[in-house]
Amino acid sequence: MPIGIPVIARLLLRRLLLAVPLVLAVVTLTFFFIRLAPGDPAAILAGDAPTPEFLAQIRAEYGLDKPVWAQFLAFLGKAVTGDFGTSIYANRPVFEVILERFPATVLITGTAMIVASVLGIVIGVASAKRAGSSADALISSASLVGYSLPGFWLGQLLILLFAVSLNWLPTGGMTAARASYHGFRHVQDVALHMVLPVTTLAVFLLTMIARFTRTAMIEALDQDYVLVAEAKGASRGRLLWHHAFRNAAVTTVTVIGLEFGAVLAGVVVVEIVFAWPGLGRLFYDAIYRRDFPLLTGAFMFSSFIVIVVNMVSDVACALLDPRIRR
Amino acid sequence: MKDGVTIAAPFAARTGWGTRLFAGLARVRRLPAATVWGLVFVAIIGLGILFAPLLTSADPLALSQDTLLAPSRAHPLGTDDLGRDLLARVLYGGRVSLSVGLFSAVLSVGLGMTIGMVAGFFGGVLDEVLMRITEAFQILPKLLVAVVVVSLVGSGLANEILVIGLLSWPATARVIRGRVQVIRHEEFIAAAEMSGASWMRVLARHVAPNVLAFLLVSASLQVASAIMSESFLSFLGLGDPTHPSWGLLLQQGQLFLQQAWWLTTFPGIALAMTILGLNLVGDGLGGGRAAAGPRK
Repeated sequence: MPIGIPVIARLLLRRLLLAVPLVLAVVTLTFFFIRLAPGDPAAILAGDAPTPEFLAQIRAEYGLDKPVWAQFLAFLGKAVTGDFGTSIYANRPVFEVILERFPATVLITGTAMIVASVLGIVIGVASAKRAGSSADALISSASLVGYSLPGFWLGQLLILLFAVSLNWLPTGGMTAARASYHGFRHVQDVALHMVLPVTTLAVFLLTMIARFTRTAMIEALDQDYVLVAEAKGASRGRLLWHHAFRNAAVTTVTVIGLEFGAVLAGVVVVEIVFAWPGLGRLFYDAIYRRDFPLLTGAFMFSSFIVIVVNMVSDVACALLDPRIRR
Repeated sequence: MKDGVTIAAPFAARTGWGTRLFAGLARVRRLPAATVWGLVFVAIIGLGILFAPLLTSADPLALSQDTLLAPSRAHPLGTDDLGRDLLARVLYGGRVSLSVGLFSAVLSVGLGMTIGMVAGFFGGVLDEVLMRITEAFQILPKLLVAVVVVSLVGSGLANEILVIGLLSWPATARVIRGRVQVIRHEEFIAAAEMSGASWMRVLARHVAPNVLAFLLVSASLQVASAIMSESFLSFLGLGDPTHPSWGLLLQQGQLFLQQAWWLTTFPGIALAMTILGLNLVGDGLGGGRAAAGPRK
């Protein structure tokens, strides 16, 4: 049955409405954090050793001389319109600084998610097919190990092995420092720099996806409709992918959505370990430079992205499974 | 528990905590291989940390001229850039990592158990509200929230424990809620309610003992996750510099990654072995994240 545009629009609208309280919660939390911190919020937002003029400017900018509720409304209004204040270090709008770094992060995160999803699904399905065999046990143990490795340590080990000892791949950065390539050579250079960070980032998600897909597939393969399909003479591949996986996919998509927050945290450490010039690195620099508007802004921005990804995964689930569509 | 053995099966649930726990332990007597391996890993690390003073006489904070030495007889795991013995730093650092892990897990499991029991037991609007809050907490990037809070409030072990504990309860809450929903309709609960027990008493005396086994699983996974979170914060420089944990050691290792492989390798092995061990314990006992399943 083809799915019409109205169904998707209705679904999106529903999820959008569900996302509103979450966005509100994020903004409220951030506002609460800034007020919760000991000392004068203006002094915190202004960073170390601000001039009295700058403090006054911050106070006026955030309305810190007004009552709390008015301050909150002002903060909320600014946050949802993308006005996250001014970065102290860069002396530019926080949103502008974030957008500048965003593509680099999307590049490794997106690649890692695609790699992890494809491999994770294939591994999960393959091990469910052989559930109980020694190959299945080996895959399960390996995925538990992968899931237990702290991302930054895995990254460090990969650097030690592939960059320092074997000298096959660069230790970090996005492009070679001593050369400036153009065209295809540039793409090749960036791709080479991406291998280790993407691998590091993908391992965690891959193991999560493989584990959940395996469980969901075992359950799906046990259902009557699979037996019926088998009795009707469906091929092994059709049974696995058309009948069983289409039902297990809801779990897989849900996991990707739920773990996305953890993936973003992983991006922060991966970008530090591999000196990748993205949003995570920016987050880290903001901690060090005590650039609080940038820190809180980057936090709100990442949280909004997490909410959007969860929304997309919810909609995808509903499209995959008509029972969820209400 | 004088009458614990003689009571008929449906009423056995009404016996005390001690009997239930003992019966639970007896049930897990035949432990799965994964759990045994996990316990072995955790025991190796635990004993090493506990008997640190017997394993090395070095002071983890004492500076010396022997900077960045590779592993040798005098320094089995080498030394760092300030000449401090790495073996001592790994062993004593484990005390910090494990303490933060344990204390924040106690906090998060306690919170999760309370919220899960209340939501599962009362159901209705209360359940709906609590579960929406739980979902919101699950979607929020927990570690990024922790980073922002610790940056603003200041680093320190107490802050780390509080932040990690207060952010990690949703997984436990969901598992416990699911379990409570199942036992909510058992006869012994109805019997207790009919005999006039208050809801507090029903929850504490009849429901709680029945979720204990799930709590053990949850706790071991929570300790693992809390240790991971602590190392994440420390790696970002938000740990307590006066109490160096494994994460802090790895942060220092990052600075000398190309000169001193040992600074990264050994603290990382200790950290990964502990997390893997605890995950194996939890996973083997049947409550792994994969077994628990994601939200419906």
